[in-house]
Amino acid sequence: MKKVLLAGIAAIALSSHAFAQAIQIDPLLPNYTPVSGISGSLKSVGSDTMNNLMTLWAEGFLAMYPNVRIEIEGKGSSTAPPALIAGTAQFGPMSREMNQRERDAFQQRFGYPPAVIRGAIDALAVYVHKDNPIRCLTLQQVDAIFSKTRRGGHPTDITTWGQLGLTGEWATRPISLYGRNSASGTYGYFKEVALFRGDYKDQVKEQPGSSTVVQGVASDRFAIGYSGIGYKTADVRAVPLASRPGETCYDATVENAVSGDYPLARFLYVYTNANPNQQMDPLRREFIRFIFSRQGQEATIKDGYFPITRAIAEDDMKAMGLSFAGN
Amino acid sequence: MAMDAIPSETASPGRDRTALLRGGTRPSPRLLERKTRLIDLKAEGQPNLWLLGGALSIAIVMILSLVLLVLWNGLATFWPKPIAVVTLTDGSLVAGEPSRTATFRVGQEVLATLPPETQAEIAANGGYANRTLYRTGNFDLYGDDFRWVADFQTRAKEFPRDMVLFERQEWGVFVGRLASFVRDGRTVTVTDPWADEVRQAHRIARDRFLQIRTIQRVEIGEVNHYLESERLRLRKAALRYPEGSRELEAARARFVEREAFYQRRFEELSARAQALMREHEAETVTLVEIGGRERVQPLGTIVRFYPANDVNFLQKLGIYGSRWLEFLTDEPREANTEGGILPALFGTVALTLLLVVFVTPFGVITAIYLREYAKQGKLVSAVRVSVNNLAGVPSIVYGVFGVGFFAYTVGGSIDALFYPEKLPSPTFGTGGLLWAALTLALLTVPVVIVASEEALAAVPRSMREGSLACGASKWQTIRYIVLPRALPGIMTGVILAMARGAGEVAPLMLVGVVKLAPELPIDGFFPFIHLERSFMHLGFHIFDVGFQSRNSEAGKPMVYTTTLLLIFLILVMNLTAITIRNRLKRKFAGSQF
Repeated sequence: MKKVLLAGIAAIALSSHAFAQAIQIDPLLPNYTPVSGISGSLKSVGSDTMNNLMTLWAEGFLAMYPNVRIEIEGKGSSTAPPALIAGTAQFGPMSREMNQRERDAFQQRFGYPPAVIRGAIDALAVYVHKDNPIRCLTLQQVDAIFSKTRRGGHPTDITTWGQLGLTGEWATRPISLYGRNSASGTYGYFKEVALFRGDYKDQVKEQPGSSTVVQGVASDRFAIGYSGIGYKTADVRAVPLASRPGETCYDATVENAVSGDYPLARFLYVYTNANPNQQMDPLRREFIRFIFSRQGQEATIKDGYFPITRAIAEDDMKAMGLSFAGN
Repeated sequence: MAMDAIPSETASPGRDRTALLRGGTRPSPRLLERKTRLIDLKAEGQPNLWLLGGALSIAIVMILSLVLLVLWNGLATFWPKPIAVVTLTDGSLVAGEPSRTATFRVGQEVLATLPPETQAEIAANGGYANRTLYRTGNFDLYGDDFRWVADFQTRAKEFPRDMVLFERQEWGVFVGRLASFVRDGRTVTVTDPWADEVRQAHRIARDRFLQIRTIQRVEIGEVNHYLESERLRLRKAALRYPEGSRELEAARARFVEREAFYQRRFEELSARAQALMREHEAETVTLVEIGGRERVQPLGTIVRFYPANDVNFLQKLGIYGSRWLEFLTDEPREANTEGGILPALFGTVALTLLLVVFVTPFGVITAIYLREYAKQGKLVSAVRVSVNNLAGVPSIVYGVFGVGFFAYTVGGSIDALFYPEKLPSPTFGTGGLLWAALTLALLTVPVVIVASEEALAAVPRSMREGSLACGASKWQTIRYIVLPRALPGIMTGVILAMARGAGEVAPLMLVGVVKLAPELPIDGFFPFIHLERSFMHLGFHIFDVGFQSRNSEAGKPMVYTTTLLLIFLILVMNLTAITIRNRLKRKFAGSQF
């Protein structure tokens, strides 16, 4: 880990980052071509992390189908399943997978499981203030910082930056914690993966939005927080993470997220109600095709997330009885 | 009250003196003098005056500084800023608008990598250094749009005249140089961004882009609207008539015929749009960022561009004006962080006006009954107390009530009765402008009731008696004598209600405000005003851009500008109401006894 630390210092010390290369979209993804006769209204209720992404998809879709109405509400992933079950929303964006209970409730109501669209890839980032010299964290350390149960197996509770090896003025400073509120899918995902299903400490300052976490960390030098990579600003830095002590730390980049090396990479899901015995209505079908098109995936980059590949898109479409050729 | 105050004021100095004597120490003459002066001030009520005056001035300073902060930041947002090109010590270049500077303590790890003379310099500065945040733009190339550069990293900083800021339809701003553009299939190299040929080409490309948008939004939108209403008509027929009946067959035939007609029309229009789109995509412009990487995109997707370091005052003023115009009259772009706020502006005004339409009759009628007709007793007192208590209920509670009662219960029943063909997608059964206005009316009705009651009570008894003595009935007295004279006071209540309603956000989030509502609640299709539609609101827009947008740094200026606009809007609405009130006051001033 020492070596990694030094290499990290050399690379990141001067300029806070080398200019990142533009992210490439899978060239096999098709261009979206509008079809005729699409109108009506769509409503999306769900994740706040995906609020902007849904808005960008909606903007792109509306440019092709001007008379479609799309409304977007984003108060947290947990609001998606009830809205889908009640039929008040056609799409339920979620930043975590539906859990068994939500899936069962859906199945009980409709007799078939909800259909899922893996619309984008997100690397959930652990942010620190831009001046923070920390170079690498293991998931076990992250667990010991955020959790009171320490299921990850770190021997001691971590409360100061000194315990993470920082020196100078940082050594004695307590770590101030920022997180999301419990309705958020980010909260659930982080709890499951980074906290090994443990419990959060009571000191975690729960924020109402992904961007508020970043703003909190930006204004507090000794803070640490977690939020989607899309919300990164110049005032914060995403800490490279390793899944086990002694392993290599990986940056939250697209390559590491797709390869699975970055331990907190996840899909962003959009759930919908697709009856396997019926054809999907044209409006929803086209919206899904749009998400899986080149234009739709460009929007994910625009929002700071990573695009999916054609293979993933084909899997999801096949499961819903759709295909790229249109039907 | 003054009579009560004086004895107590004089009593306390007496007690003080006896206390001093008992203590045995003789006060020095100077101390005594000061004491007496204090007594005098106290007796005159001076401390109270200072307290009250001080409280007032603190309140004024706080309000003024808040308004000034919003004004300063809001007004400065759209003013063109220069573009700095910074050469870093490692030879790379950074170009961007300097956005703010900060002092920071240089970390040990960073310090160790610096040359000794820089280290000495920082040490001499107490370990601190300055850094500047540059808005570098070019998100599509860099994956970032802001960057901090420390002073010790900077080798040189200049403001080249050919650096251009491009505002784009997508991906945010581009900072770089203009290289060439394509016109009628040939590439024209151009470096001067003010050159006529590029300006003209841009104007044509932009017009074409807007034309495509008009075809897509307005003309195709119309076709889609009629197609949708045909579909609904068929659905309605299918719900009403049994399968196989003559009516249903007729409706089906009609639908097939109409659908074919609109389909043809749609294809015509979309062919026209496609043709224009091809031209639009053929006329590209090549932009070069500071590091030499190129970006080719249609010229029509550039909203505005100017050489940031080569604009005179008048040109700056022009850019400033055109940005404000776009802000006020266009729709949002890029998930609300760019472009205009017309839908939010419209939504706020419409909501506030509707609120007034609902709250005034409710409030005034209640007040008239309470003041003029009801027998003053325990029941009326209880009603009054309840009304006053309503004003203290948290606004989010009204939101919950609004969504539960108005949207789900009332709206759901309306849908089931009148819009069965659209189910399961709700028409009135979800949040919308109407329900939001009613919720806010409930929220503000106590203000209007209390103010109206006071105004009615202030009409002199002699006037009522005079009217009644002339043989007018009670209602005639209220209608022609009391109400006109109470109007200015009632208006005050309405103004207060309006100001409260326009600034309220929390309940709206539940009853119909959305992040993106592509359509205004008013359009060219019957019934023209669509109160069931959800809408955008300036207050929610501020929350959304400030706390929900991808790059909070880029959203910040928009937050200030939107806040400024919201304050200005409330000011305008209040001023209008105040003017009306003053006119009413003048009208009835002459007829007082």
